[in-house]
Amino acid sequence: MRSRISENESLKKVFREAYSAKGTSETGKKWQSQAMRRIRQIGPLRPAAGFWPAFESMVWRLAPVSCVLVLVLAFFFVNTEPEVDSDYLGTMAAEMEKPTLVELFGLEG
Amino acid sequence: MQNDAVRSSDAEIVRQVLDGNVNAFEAVILRHRVLVLTIVKKHVPEDAIEEMTQEAFVRAYQSLPTFKGTGDFSHWLSSIAVKTCYDYWRQAYRSREIPLSALTEKHSQWLEQVLSQRPEEALDDIEPQMEAREVLNWALGKLSAGDRMVLELVYLEGFSVLEAAELLGWSKANVKVRSFRARMKLEKLLRTVKEQGRRGR
Repeated sequence: MRSRISENESLKKVFREAYSAKGTSETGKKWQSQAMRRIRQIGPLRPAAGFWPAFESMVWRLAPVSCVLVLVLAFFFVNTEPEVDSDYLGTMAAEMEKPTLVELFGLEG
Repeated sequence: MQNDAVRSSDAEIVRQVLDGNVNAFEAVILRHRVLVLTIVKKHVPEDAIEEMTQEAFVRAYQSLPTFKGTGDFSHWLSSIAVKTCYDYWRQAYRSREIPLSALTEKHSQWLEQVLSQRPEEALDDIEPQMEAREVLNWALGKLSAGDRMVLELVYLEGFSVLEAAELLGWSKANVKVRSFRARMKLEKLLRTVKEQGRRGR
């Protein structure tokens, strides 16, 4: 079996060293004031919604999708004619032609 | 004891922010900027560090109502920072903005040299480290955003599967599968580099 290159300890060590060296670059402080400006624009937070408000918002979010789905399915069923020569319908038709027990023995009232 | 004090003051700041004192969040930034910066610096390219750190804190602010206050705040914040980096890569891959530098014969030779060395033989020179970074960046650029993040966390940073799963907000099984798959991809890529070197000779 071939030994795995990625599991070679020397390579792992060198890769890890190179990777950890990435986190040593200097950054400015401008981002802090920009972050606070964005946060102030968002404004005060509202407490986390309970179960029912969250459920309600989810239902409303899914409502358009459900409507489109209903319309697509309705369109599909309206425009699809059943195939008479399909096996299932053929069997059904044959079954319906067979006389029932009631008819055979004249049990009809 | 000191940790408890820090945690309680974190909780106090969070409570103030949730009570409507937006400016109190500045204390969160000042307190945890080093932590978030350290995470972001490792995962995103240099030109995106400040933007992603800022984004991580804005996301943390927006998610503050979901912070339960029972766990460690810095851990919760780390998870947001990691997820922000993951989203950065997802976006970058979607818009195909990943610069892929081609590798040369020099990189193949470097790989051969490292593979023939013993782990205790340190490679302290700048040159090998630069080549390691170039090979690593090239290989990571060939992976998907998810595979990249898992590989960075588990393979390069040494986090356990459970820790990586908590940071990414994924299931343990998902991280395990992704980690295995990403390593296999890395293996294949490194083999290509090695083979290229042999063919070049």
